[in-house]
Amino acid sequence: MKPRTSLPAVFLAPPLVILAVLAFVPTAYAIYISFRNRELSRPDGSFVGLANYIDLFSDRRFINAVGVSLTWEVITVTLTLLVAIVLGILLFEFASMRQRAVLTLVFLVPVILPRVSAAFVWKFAFHPLYGIITYPYKMITGQPLDVLSSPATALMTVALVDVWQWGLFFAVIVLKLLETLPPQPFEAARLDHARRWEIYAYVALPMLKAPLISLTFIKMIESLRAFDLIYVMTRGGPGIATETLDMYAFSQGFIESGRISYASSMAVLMMLATTVIFTVIWKRVKP
Amino acid sequence: MNVSRFLGKSILYLAAFSAVFPMVWTAINAFKNRVDIVTPTPLFLFTPTLDNFAYVLGRESVAAGLVNSLLAAGGSVLIGALLGLPAAYAIARYPNRWSADIQFFVLSLRFLPPVAVAIPLMVIWLDLGFYDTRFSLIVTYTLLTLATIIWLGVPAFARVPKEVEEAARVDGYGPYAVFLRVALPIASRSLIGAVAFAFVLVWNEFLIALMLTTSDAKTLPIVASELTQLGRDVPWGILNASVVLLSIPPLLLIGILSGLLNNAFRRKSN
Repeated sequence: MKPRTSLPAVFLAPPLVILAVLAFVPTAYAIYISFRNRELSRPDGSFVGLANYIDLFSDRRFINAVGVSLTWEVITVTLTLLVAIVLGILLFEFASMRQRAVLTLVFLVPVILPRVSAAFVWKFAFHPLYGIITYPYKMITGQPLDVLSSPATALMTVALVDVWQWGLFFAVIVLKLLETLPPQPFEAARLDHARRWEIYAYVALPMLKAPLISLTFIKMIESLRAFDLIYVMTRGGPGIATETLDMYAFSQGFIESGRISYASSMAVLMMLATTVIFTVIWKRVKP
Repeated sequence: MNVSRFLGKSILYLAAFSAVFPMVWTAINAFKNRVDIVTPTPLFLFTPTLDNFAYVLGRESVAAGLVNSLLAAGGSVLIGALLGLPAAYAIARYPNRWSADIQFFVLSLRFLPPVAVAIPLMVIWLDLGFYDTRFSLIVTYTLLTLATIIWLGVPAFARVPKEVEEAARVDGYGPYAVFLRVALPIASRSLIGAVAFAFVLVWNEFLIALMLTTSDAKTLPIVASELTQLGRDVPWGILNASVVLLSIPPLLLIGILSGLLNNAFRRKSN
């Protein structure tokens, strides 16, 4: 038995108080200013009730941003998991131990890069005139290819960078997860003449269902942080084709009109939606 | 070598190539004169120049950004570690009926959209007169580092064999001495990984820094992104050089971070 000690209280109280203050004060303040009409140029403002929220629902740019954000979530989460599972299985199946060690390090490079760097590196690679990726297209057709300026391809191109960062990283995790599995079920399946892909589809992946769901959950949260990539690569453009919710809130609060209260009401809605959705998912996933 | 093996390996090598080539290409371009970058065909052979790096490092804004980044990341990581590591230990070793809730609370901070935190914080720091200062940036980043270090520290401390701590207690160590002299050194490898991760997270952070700073406290990612938004006559070489500079510190920590990953999974399988 442990003796009674002051340690837990001493060790836990200060950090938890700090976290609580740093998290709750901004949250409460966001809710408070979202009920006012404060602007950057006019510090006081007055109480306007739900006016900001009501305005949001007739704001077509807001509706567009909701759509872009949802599309972004679905595309990046799905593709990341797909890339991770395929590459993770290939690593497990075909790479020797030494190759795995080297490839693990290599696959970690994209996710460790600052997103500003990743965004710039790819933005330059996709440059219509000097980009190395668009070069073959330009050489064959004689036309420059400008994927970031076309509403049809811009979001997909930015999403590619996100999947490049996270898909390769998650592939390493899928490999580590496969390495933790006991070998017996694999051997049993092999004895039953299961094909290679059948072993993964019906034996290995179902055994990893819980961690894979956790990975999906983590990626859903991280995909909310799309801002850096979009800010550097397209600034929400062309037009509003890649304007996610955080991008729109940022431009309302800072660039265009300094409507802090209006931007706050968006932030509060985002906070509500993500907290509710993720808490529900988390409680379901973790028994 | 059969077909599927060849195909599988090819895909792996292609993925590995895609992981490093963009950054390598950026680094190559950082050594080019502008005329060698703005060519109709990408150039692999050229006369290298150090002008870009000299220009970037000689710029006041970059130097200031570097100092701000180091102070903001260093300060918040230091506070995060000093407060977070003991907290993680307490959660791992002295479970009580709120432990699960505390862990969930710490995790749930990650659910908050950064923009939702940054907008009110900007107003708060403006009202308090601390807007665009390193102080406000360090305090804000502490929210990130503290939560991350607690979250990653709990499993690291939980992996310390309980018997060792019991033995130390029998030898007359008090609870604080057990933490400082036994648990902390044994878990140090994983803990260094956790701290390194928190550092990279803050070093790379962009949105909060963008909203909380305008000139005095601007961090390196903001300075670099401003360079990327320059007008028509883009100084591409300088841009590439500043991106390389920004990316070096996280890349230096890649070994420690992959060690953290390995530790987390190795123990689980035993």
